[in-house]
Amino acid sequence: MREAIHERRSGLRRNDLEACDLDTWIGRVANLEEVALPDSLKLLHSRNNQLAWLGLQQDGMLDAIAELRQRIGSDRIGVIMGTSTSSIARTEEAYANLLPSGAMPPEYCQPEVHNLHSPGIFVAEATGLEGPSMTISTACSSSAKVFASAMRWISHGLVDAVLVGGIDSLCMSILYGFNSLELVSPDRCRPFDERRNGINIGESCGYAIIGKEDAIGAVQFSMLGYGESSDAYHMSHPHPDGKGAVLAMSQALDRAGVAADDIDYINLHGTASQANDRIEALALGQLFSDRTLASSTKAWTGHTLGAAGILEAVITLEAMRYGIVPGTLNCDQPDPDFAFHVVQQNVQRRVRYAMTNSFGFGGNNATLVFGQAHD
Amino acid sequence: MTSVNISGIGVWSEQFANWDEFRAVLGGSEAVLGSALKPELIPPKERRRAPQAVKMAIEVMDQACQMATLDPSGVATVFASGMGDMQITDYMCRTLATTPRLVSPTRFHNSVHNASTGYWSIATGSHAPANAVSGYSFSVAIAILEAAVQAIEENIPVLVVVEELEAPQPFKSVCDAELAFAAALLLSPGGAASSPLASMDIKVHRSEVENSAPWRVQGVDYSTNFAAKILPLLIAVAGQDAADLQFPMSRSAALQVSLSMERMSGTVDG
Repeated sequence: MREAIHERRSGLRRNDLEACDLDTWIGRVANLEEVALPDSLKLLHSRNNQLAWLGLQQDGMLDAIAELRQRIGSDRIGVIMGTSTSSIARTEEAYANLLPSGAMPPEYCQPEVHNLHSPGIFVAEATGLEGPSMTISTACSSSAKVFASAMRWISHGLVDAVLVGGIDSLCMSILYGFNSLELVSPDRCRPFDERRNGINIGESCGYAIIGKEDAIGAVQFSMLGYGESSDAYHMSHPHPDGKGAVLAMSQALDRAGVAADDIDYINLHGTASQANDRIEALALGQLFSDRTLASSTKAWTGHTLGAAGILEAVITLEAMRYGIVPGTLNCDQPDPDFAFHVVQQNVQRRVRYAMTNSFGFGGNNATLVFGQAHD
Repeated sequence: MTSVNISGIGVWSEQFANWDEFRAVLGGSEAVLGSALKPELIPPKERRRAPQAVKMAIEVMDQACQMATLDPSGVATVFASGMGDMQITDYMCRTLATTPRLVSPTRFHNSVHNASTGYWSIATGSHAPANAVSGYSFSVAIAILEAAVQAIEENIPVLVVVEELEAPQPFKSVCDAELAFAAALLLSPGGAASSPLASMDIKVHRSEVENSAPWRVQGVDYSTNFAAKILPLLIAVAGQDAADLQFPMSRSAALQVSLSMERMSGTVDG
């Protein structure tokens, strides 16, 4: 992912899912179908859990968790996962093969898969973590909100650390659902471009370990603040004035004790839908000056829904680590009517404070603010 | 230890439409199936289109706020359900298996797990934080814990709602809920409410537990409804009984809830 961003190489491809005839582009994890779950987790088989397992293999995550478990105890580490659709692809398959009685066929009798907490169950099982385990599902803000709940759990002393994560995998419910709302683009998505015509759906999984320094040891970044708000406007259309978005960003800045002008980079929700990008730009214009660089990275990954929060938190932390702000891929003709202009090309810049936005159906908004450790 | 007050309660099933009916049924009144479900917060036109899952949640949330005489617009919400809206999932999966391009856009946007808190924020004009969570069969314990921690850490009232629908046929092996059930608790940080109904001290306890609840209410078995695991708490509050309750939250841990009644401990009202 780091190389792809630095080289501006998109991960999107033409829809090649056998079961889906929509003319669109997707962010599909290559060879995900071939990921084998360990024997002890075989009963939890689903595309989503294959992706969860693949995610745990990245960047030494399983080893880091095992080391932390040894040091502070498995019951002092919580698990909070964010997802929009959980293992629904497996349920869709079961429904395509229902028995004459109306029941699911025996190979699909997996109670711990066909429910919304499937990611939380799988990750707790796969990591041996025994603290409280919860799955948050607030559409596309799900895995941004995991950070907010984790900070509260830690600050309250409920646990000493939390493994947070987000996951969503390609499924027919989402592809045909967004298609029914006429939000899916037949082209590569173009966030903040005047020719933008909809979203591309993607799949992804990400994790982070959050805790106080004395509990988790070597701290890489500081989680400074979060904001959570509701639009109180419409189930699938953002508030026309960006009210909920402004509230979430303002709260996150207040909690972090950081002024708007101190934010060096914002990773935007930026889905490339007509409404989201216009209204997010409107909201940004109310709070930020052109000192702050902002971009959407959806044209690299597609919109990964309930996983977008953590995926874009990770991209934001990468920008902080390497001092490279990703530009907005495919935004060649920025919409001239927007109240705030996104950065188009990658820019080298020291990023001391950064923010990321995630907005979901139901008018559910979450914003996170990060800082360099020990700054 | 985490201490919060309960300042309002809402409850709905096909046997009882609200807290008063619930208490009457516990007291021996005959429960008749087919409770009305007409949440007044949702305008009649939208009410007809709103899914049952949303109507149940809004109904019990409104009941809890009314009991606490609290303006709902400043209250954070935590919605919890193990399975989410199984009626919509059933519709989506059946349609996808046959005519995927005919998926209804309205049903699709209503399929998000946070549909109820979305409708709630629209109906009340609330911009407060809204959450929607799941713990599968352990949803009641995780929802109470999450809401209590939020109430204390943010120092705001938090409305927690748990619900589960009757399971459609293909889901019977996953969640065999016989009747739909929903309940809401309005939690406030200790000392905030002037005369709470009850207060709770809660903590996570490492042990295997079976929730030993009186699971049958006049012949109807609620033990398979994940949300109805909250019944022992409601029954204790209804009976004004201090109680030590345990709610399973995983195979190896339980949420221990020590429930006390303010009025029983000598607090004089007025």
